[in-house]
Amino acid sequence: MKIDLGPVTRIEGHLNVRTTVENGVVVDAQCMSEMFRGFEVLLQGRNPLDAQQITQRICGVCPYAHAIASSRAQENAYKLQVPANGRILHNLIEGANHLYDYLLQFYQLSALDFVDVTAILQYKGKDAELLKVRQWVQAELSRGKAFPAAPFLPRLSGKYIANADINIGAIKHYLDAMEIQKKANQAAAIFGGKFPHSTAIFPGGCTQDVRIDLIAAYQALIGEVKEFITSKYIPDVLAVAAAFPEYWKIGASKGGFLSHGLLPLSPAPNSKHLFAAGVMFDGQVSAVDPKQITQDILHSKYSSPSGLKIQDSTLTPSPHKEGAYSWSKAPRYGGRMLEVGPAARVLIDYHQGNNPVLKEMVNKFAGVAKISPKELNSVLGRHLCRAIQASIIADFLLDETERLEHGAPAMGNIVIPRSGEGIGMTEASRGALLHYIRIENYKIAKYECVVPTTWNASPRDDKGQPGAMESALIGTRVANPEEQIESLRIVHSFDPCIACAVH
Amino acid sequence: MIHRRDFLKLAAALSAAFGINGLPEPVMAALKKIDPAAVPKIIYLQGLSCTGCSISLLQAESPSPLSLITDYSQLAFHADLSAISGKKAFDLVEKFISGQAGPYFLAVEGAIPEKMPEACVIGSKTFAQLLEEAAKTMSGAIAVGACACDGGIPAAEGNLTGAIGVKEFYQKRGIKKLVVNIRGCSVHPDWVWHTIIHLVKVGVPELINDSPKIFYSRKVHELCPRYHDFQQEIFAKKLGDKGCLFKLGCLGPDTYADCPTRWWNGGRTWCIDSNAPCIGCASPHFARKKNIPFYRLSESTK
Repeated sequence: MKIDLGPVTRIEGHLNVRTTVENGVVVDAQCMSEMFRGFEVLLQGRNPLDAQQITQRICGVCPYAHAIASSRAQENAYKLQVPANGRILHNLIEGANHLYDYLLQFYQLSALDFVDVTAILQYKGKDAELLKVRQWVQAELSRGKAFPAAPFLPRLSGKYIANADINIGAIKHYLDAMEIQKKANQAAAIFGGKFPHSTAIFPGGCTQDVRIDLIAAYQALIGEVKEFITSKYIPDVLAVAAAFPEYWKIGASKGGFLSHGLLPLSPAPNSKHLFAAGVMFDGQVSAVDPKQITQDILHSKYSSPSGLKIQDSTLTPSPHKEGAYSWSKAPRYGGRMLEVGPAARVLIDYHQGNNPVLKEMVNKFAGVAKISPKELNSVLGRHLCRAIQASIIADFLLDETERLEHGAPAMGNIVIPRSGEGIGMTEASRGALLHYIRIENYKIAKYECVVPTTWNASPRDDKGQPGAMESALIGTRVANPEEQIESLRIVHSFDPCIACAVH
Repeated sequence: MIHRRDFLKLAAALSAAFGINGLPEPVMAALKKIDPAAVPKIIYLQGLSCTGCSISLLQAESPSPLSLITDYSQLAFHADLSAISGKKAFDLVEKFISGQAGPYFLAVEGAIPEKMPEACVIGSKTFAQLLEEAAKTMSGAIAVGACACDGGIPAAEGNLTGAIGVKEFYQKRGIKKLVVNIRGCSVHPDWVWHTIIHLVKVGVPELINDSPKIFYSRKVHELCPRYHDFQQEIFAKKLGDKGCLFKLGCLGPDTYADCPTRWWNGGRTWCIDSNAPCIGCASPHFARKKNIPFYRLSESTK
């Protein structure tokens, strides 16, 4: 029996997942990205410096990652020297963006898959905010109107957390997270100019001054976010894990992992990262070679040639193409499928022994949960990996602020060459992000983006291999095939962004 | 400028939608407490969008985002927040759009791919189809952000989808419905939420180019704290410099928005305070032409 799970909510954008269910098990899944804008075509013929602005509009959830990837691609093409302050400001902006995004992903986008929101009706405590929510839900339910207490009700059928205290605590933290995410974004905006869509990020650094008053405000805000991560976010992830331990074994993707490395430790183009870059197949990590990346389109709604390398990529939409079921292309590394995102970042770093704090945290939490590190490739694993990284990133950002040189330049001197090309790589919160730019006659001749959800929500490739999320869904046992809260939990753990995937 | 007669007509229509009586008396209405049974329901749909405006709406300060979606409005559906998913979520949207779930306001984020409707699909329908059907039942629409107002970046020169904004989409179909445009890429959360508060407590705010005059009546340049630098011809020569950013390409002189007085992200910052030229994101012409770049780095050295 075929069941469509779309429109999938609590993600970014337009996703349908077409499942085939037999005897209560998902035997097939197709990730169907349902929105197309054609950014790479829009960019052709524009001034190269438009790119870090235009590409941020690929995604308003992780715009800063696109700004950074585009800036790096341009730095590469312009052979631009980046001052130390410039790279640190890039990090302060991008890192803070990760923090907000992890909180949003866990509380606003995923928590309602696990937490019983109706528990609020039993609330007997004195917290003013929770009392207000209880009264609101009660009033909504008593008015007999259509869809009371939306958008929090109605919800999918399924097993939710039974413990009232955990539920109430999680609801409170859902509300708190709505406030805390703003602080992370305010911190990013201090140097980024505004959020979403930063105007102050450029290739070569940032236009904002490196002033002690701004630094102090940034530190205070990130300090508050860090406190929430330690005292609420990590315990809440562990509470969900304790209530749903089976999800350490549900939702594993069946390919490799890729990370472009997050938060460089110096302005040098070949700098080490806070979280190491690498590509991992069968437990073996090797260096990333962008030439290994190709994009198949047999099942994608394009008539352009399939299997092209990044710099050769073309885009010809074909909405009615036979056998095509997604606007997303199918990127592959050396022809193989892989997952990107929080679990990929942690596993690749862990296996290289790059970040000692990460290793320690993974070992500690794996011990608590009685899992092996490779089980981080799971629904709970992705959530835990985000929380671990949030903690490490927040500490790193506070350390980075101490490395800023007050009053020193934070911008390189941009000179756009007549021709050139460059690749820029970073990690968006959702995973490996790559931008490629080629400049001819001072204009963009070619632009190509390979985006995290392009990897994760990829359709079948030309050889018929499923994408990472498809592979994670296949084999899942579902109690109610019509609704499949189990499948939804898997999808949410990837935090798909369809605006990114297709762009 | 909206004429008084039109205003009264709109106010009457809205008052029917919201169940607020005596709307034409704005002061009285403003003093009234909101009847929780009658707050406007909002169906929030996304087209060719990046969700940046939704994320911006979550950056609201006072009132808080939660209060805004429960006390001042009821967010009956939003793809990023709704607990329900899949067919049941789509059925909920359809119940409203088919007129079976009572009055509602449509909030639209994102452009409509007019020449390629398959480029945006929600459930079993195209986004364009949903907008056409909603026109018959909604009380009015709020176009949230550059894409929903004028097509935004999806409508930039050379685009393949024929992206347009809500107003133009309805005009082409001869549909006459109230569409309030809130421009910006992304919108400032106040621009949207304060418009909704205005609708709930007072009625339709005074509009200029279909946008609330309170936010969009003056140019960024006019309000800019660096206007004095402009007059004194103190210009930034390179990115990161102080002074008027005009010679680096600042589009403040072409852009109507109150960023210079409102500031962003809890009032901490805004583009020009961080020495970043305005890129005109609240202008109907934002990013439209390839030969009008955001920056003019050569200009300043001439």
